[in-house]
Amino acid sequence: MNCPELLRTQAFLDGELTGDAAREAELHIATCDECRAFSARAAELSDAMRANITQHRAPQALHNRISALLDKEDAPVAFIPRWRQREFWTGAFSGIGASALAAALTIFVMLPPSAETLAQSVADAHTNALMSGKVIQVASSSHHTVKPWFAGKVEVSPPVADFAQQGFPLIGGRVDKVAGSRAAVVVYNHGRHEIDLFVWPDKGARLPGESTRHGYHAIFWKNGDLNFAAVCDMEGAELHKFVNLVRTESD
Amino acid sequence: MPHLDAAYNLARWLTRSPTDAEDIVQDAMLRAFRAFDGFRGGDAKPWLLAIVRNCWRNAGADAKRRAQTALPQDDDGGLVSTDPDPEAIAMDASQSRKLDEVIALLPNEFREVLVLREMEDMSYREIAEITGAPIGTVMSRLARARTMLRERWTARDLV
Ligand SMILES: [Zn+2]
Repeated sequence: MNCPELLRTQAFLDGELTGDAAREAELHIATCDECRAFSARAAELSDAMRANITQHRAPQALHNRISALLDKEDAPVAFIPRWRQREFWTGAFSGIGASALAAALTIFVMLPPSAETLAQSVADAHTNALMSGKVIQVASSSHHTVKPWFAGKVEVSPPVADFAQQGFPLIGGRVDKVAGSRAAVVVYNHGRHEIDLFVWPDKGARLPGESTRHGYHAIFWKNGDLNFAAVCDMEGAELHKFVNLVRTESD
Repeated sequence: MPHLDAAYNLARWLTRSPTDAEDIVQDAMLRAFRAFDGFRGGDAKPWLLAIVRNCWRNAGADAKRRAQTALPQDDDGGLVSTDPDPEAIAMDASQSRKLDEVIALLPNEFREVLVLREMEDMSYREIAEITGAPIGTVMSRLARARTMLRERWTARDLV
């Protein structure tokens, strides 16, 4: 019903997004019926407002009265000249560029990441961990060791279970990042494959479902206030089997 | 006097009363003048609008109560029901009046973000500074304000 990207779409329409963020929003609007309808309605409404709304202008009497009052003000000498300078009121100050940039960054950071960003992000994190050989920060096949290890390191408490009997032994865990959020990663083995189970707090992001990035498959899902992604280089059916185990255990 | 019209427009939309708006703007301009030390550069317009909004808040429950009763009270129902020509209703003047009324009736927190965004062209960050609300709140209020406005506006078209 309510698209989780609606605020991003609105930010795009309001000209608050630039660069990649704007392109992503545009792409999303092209593929989302709800956001496309929202855009059309917002444009119509904005046009109607700008054309029809009464823009009140200060009455001349008010203008005169305030001028007279300000003339009587006993202002410290230091700021009278600046008050009279045009720049004071027109805002020709340095630092505007910086604050506009900060604003764009703030909005980009606080919006939930897009599905595209998430798909790329878990694949990148998985690859980086494999390449640097730092897949595991705590090595243990016991959930009594792995689960408490996360406490204080991440804001989530991930479900941790050993699925050795089903062919997916628990081998450890690490802390990583998904699209800027700290995530708990529970690591499993399956034959020669390593499976990363990312768990991070749900901030209302739309999840990709399934994705494949540079040879790694990922399956995403939500449970309660947590987001999950299982990432591995093995084929879909085996990964689905693993996901079903995790979901049965934690649901 | 720079931004006086913007200050007055915002005050008018917040108070929904010409008299209250004048009082508030006068108060705000004096405060802006005296508080100039607190101005840290940047664009003066959002800074001044923030002062206008504070003056309006400080004016308190009393002014707000008066504003409630000072809503546009023209005989809207009568006019619409006796007007035989639907096209006449859609004319610019009445269109404008209707939209004005619908906006005037929006709850304060939604009306102010809408006016700041659509009429004063303030950015999200500026609206956040003026209203003292986090940017996320500004965004969700704006979305809600637009939905409410849209619903009420089209509902009135069908009368
Ligand atoms: Zn959408």
